[in-house]
Amino acid sequence: MLRQIWIVSALNFKSLTSRFWQSMVIVVGLGATIGVLLSMMSVTAGMRQAYANSGDPGRAIVVSQGADSEGQSSITRTDADVIMDAPGIKKDTDGRPLADRALNMGVPVLRNNGTKGYTTLRGFGPKGVALRPEFHLVAGRMFQFGKRELIVGVGAQATFQHMKIGDHVILPNGEWPIVGSYHTGDILEGQLIGDTETMLTALNRTAYNSILVRLTAQDALATFRKAITTNPALQMTVTRHSDWYARVGDQASGLLAVLAYVVGAVMAIGALFGCLNTMYAAVSTRGREIATLRALGYGAFPVAVSVILEGVALAVTGALIGAAIAWAMNDGHQSVWGQNIFVLRVPPSLVLMGVSWALAVALAGGLLPSIRAARRPVVDALRAT
Amino acid sequence: MKYLPLIWAAILRKPTRAILTLLSVMVAFTLFGLMIGLNATFDSVAEKARADRIFTWPRFGGDGVPLAVARQVAAIPGVKAVTAMNFLPGYVRDPKNQVFVLMTDQNVAKVFGDYGVAAEQWNAVWKDRTGIVMSQFQAERWHKKVGDTFTMISKQVKRADGKTSWDFKVLAVIEDMPQISNGFIFGNYDYIDKAKPLADQGKVNEVDLLADDPATSSAVAERIDHAFANSATPMQTITEKLSRSGSDFGGLDIKKITGGIALAGMFMVLFLTGNGIAESVRERFAEFATLKAIGFTDRSVTAMVVLEAALPCVIGAALGVGIAAFLARQIPGLMPAGFGLPLPTMSPMVMLWAGACAFAVALLSAALPVLWLRRMDIATALSGRG
Repeated sequence: MLRQIWIVSALNFKSLTSRFWQSMVIVVGLGATIGVLLSMMSVTAGMRQAYANSGDPGRAIVVSQGADSEGQSSITRTDADVIMDAPGIKKDTDGRPLADRALNMGVPVLRNNGTKGYTTLRGFGPKGVALRPEFHLVAGRMFQFGKRELIVGVGAQATFQHMKIGDHVILPNGEWPIVGSYHTGDILEGQLIGDTETMLTALNRTAYNSILVRLTAQDALATFRKAITTNPALQMTVTRHSDWYARVGDQASGLLAVLAYVVGAVMAIGALFGCLNTMYAAVSTRGREIATLRALGYGAFPVAVSVILEGVALAVTGALIGAAIAWAMNDGHQSVWGQNIFVLRVPPSLVLMGVSWALAVALAGGLLPSIRAARRPVVDALRAT
Repeated sequence: MKYLPLIWAAILRKPTRAILTLLSVMVAFTLFGLMIGLNATFDSVAEKARADRIFTWPRFGGDGVPLAVARQVAAIPGVKAVTAMNFLPGYVRDPKNQVFVLMTDQNVAKVFGDYGVAAEQWNAVWKDRTGIVMSQFQAERWHKKVGDTFTMISKQVKRADGKTSWDFKVLAVIEDMPQISNGFIFGNYDYIDKAKPLADQGKVNEVDLLADDPATSSAVAERIDHAFANSATPMQTITEKLSRSGSDFGGLDIKKITGGIALAGMFMVLFLTGNGIAESVRERFAEFATLKAIGFTDRSVTAMVVLEAALPCVIGAALGVGIAAFLARQIPGLMPAGFGLPLPTMSPMVMLWAGACAFAVALLSAALPVLWLRRMDIATALSGRG
């Protein structure tokens, strides 16, 4: 049986050259579908990647109860002191807890294309850098604590105007100079960073947005969480940093993913009709050839399978071409969506998704024609012109 | 027209192929309609934006800026009229039913005169603090008519009495502005201001204004940003034109994306129809030779092939755009209420583009087969060796 499938399929593939343009309908159809799908998904994938890189399973983030984002959360100075003394937090070499009171707010920016938007201005405390080994200064210098200075991520520099070292950012009661730029390889790269306490004063605010801590070990989360949530004075939520950013990333990219799937599905339906068309044509032009094989004793099943295999091979080829185009056009490009600045990505998982969509289309599109091919009475087919 | 039976017969030769081709074309044009329709929506919104209107709000939101900011803005050269407003964000019954009321001062009619609220409707709102004017979309969403009470919960705005619920009276329901897809609700600034604790009173969240001259509005906007840049309350100012400028969707160039998708769909269809027509002509090569032998000119044979290619394209395009129009109307029902996704519109421009693309696809797919037919050697073709 397998041998029969093999022989019939090999015969099919050898005759493909004579049906080149016809077969190209499937290749182009799936190529266009998967190219579009993966191009749109490269935004989602890039954003998710940036957020995933930001989350470290060895860190935990504390926000006030009910807050969905750092911006919605508010932690008073008193509560912050209590939280930073909790067990489960790793101590720095100076004996102080590796914990950082963070500030998080939107700041208006001018994008390179002239449109206006926002990015995130983040406050770091004294342990902000020690908590983040991924943080590297690439140019200029670090902002000084107590001074009205900012540093800027390389992603923000690539996306917005007026973000060079020496440029100024408007904040309440004055403009703050940018004194350095940094690289983190995650979502922070599209943001600006300054000193939390100085920012609080300038903004007339009294509360922090969140507290980020380094756990003594990855499994110390339970200890830390218990200490915070059982304290009746605190109404806080403790989340592992990686889980937090996975959720934020999903929220941020959810709408675009839905749009990509809808557009991709519509195109896939169009490609499916094209696939059906081609496969029916292929079966009918090779009617006599198939009938001859049947007359020689080949079973109906190998014939049907070989027809489907041909469709699958063409569809997967198309999907891979589409994926290659999507990769070449998007992967590595700096992009922006709302307040998220990230690099577009077409990772292997997306390519795999594209290939599985193509498989589904090819199976659906090859099934009916293959049944027709297998069922056609041999005598009729041999007689047909 | 006399060729029509011939063309029809040619198409019906392989009904499966004809139907599948039609369906595929239809799907591609559904996508085309939705994508180009989205562009049309962005274009019409950008076009309807008033060139002289400018929005300014605190760079760093918080609880707003002092009312005095509105007076300072009014004093800036080139500013004609100014209105200040507070936002009342909240929900109705359940947090997922988000709603938003613009609580404006009495100058609002000078700046938003085009919103279609009549003078007596405004006067009613100024007389009754709790009065609101709802656009049709919002009225339908909350099932309200004139005279009804509208109650919403706001956790964001603190009231002096500690309550979180706000009661309003619907004084008027007016038509929607086509460029504001989610409708709008106007209320009275005094109501929200006086309900707040004393320390929070006298604040505004946004100041909207008109420039003397539409041509200077960008300059006026910059002047405002500049005037407040070094103050305790820096402002972020944007002209209505820029804020509604078509191709910006959260920083993504929407037109590039929609155009690319529509183009990919057309490319797919071109291959499909091109192949279909080529096959159809190849199968009937001898028939065409006969036609030419009995005196059909190259022109009429060309016309037949082009028409045969055009028929599924044009019908498919019409059906596809029709489906797109239907789907566009269903989108609001499928999305969570109050979701700000712009809806595609099937403007005449979209139909024109769809028609043009359908013909372009038909012509391109017919090109090669037509060339074969013109160059064919009738004798060889008739002998069946062609």
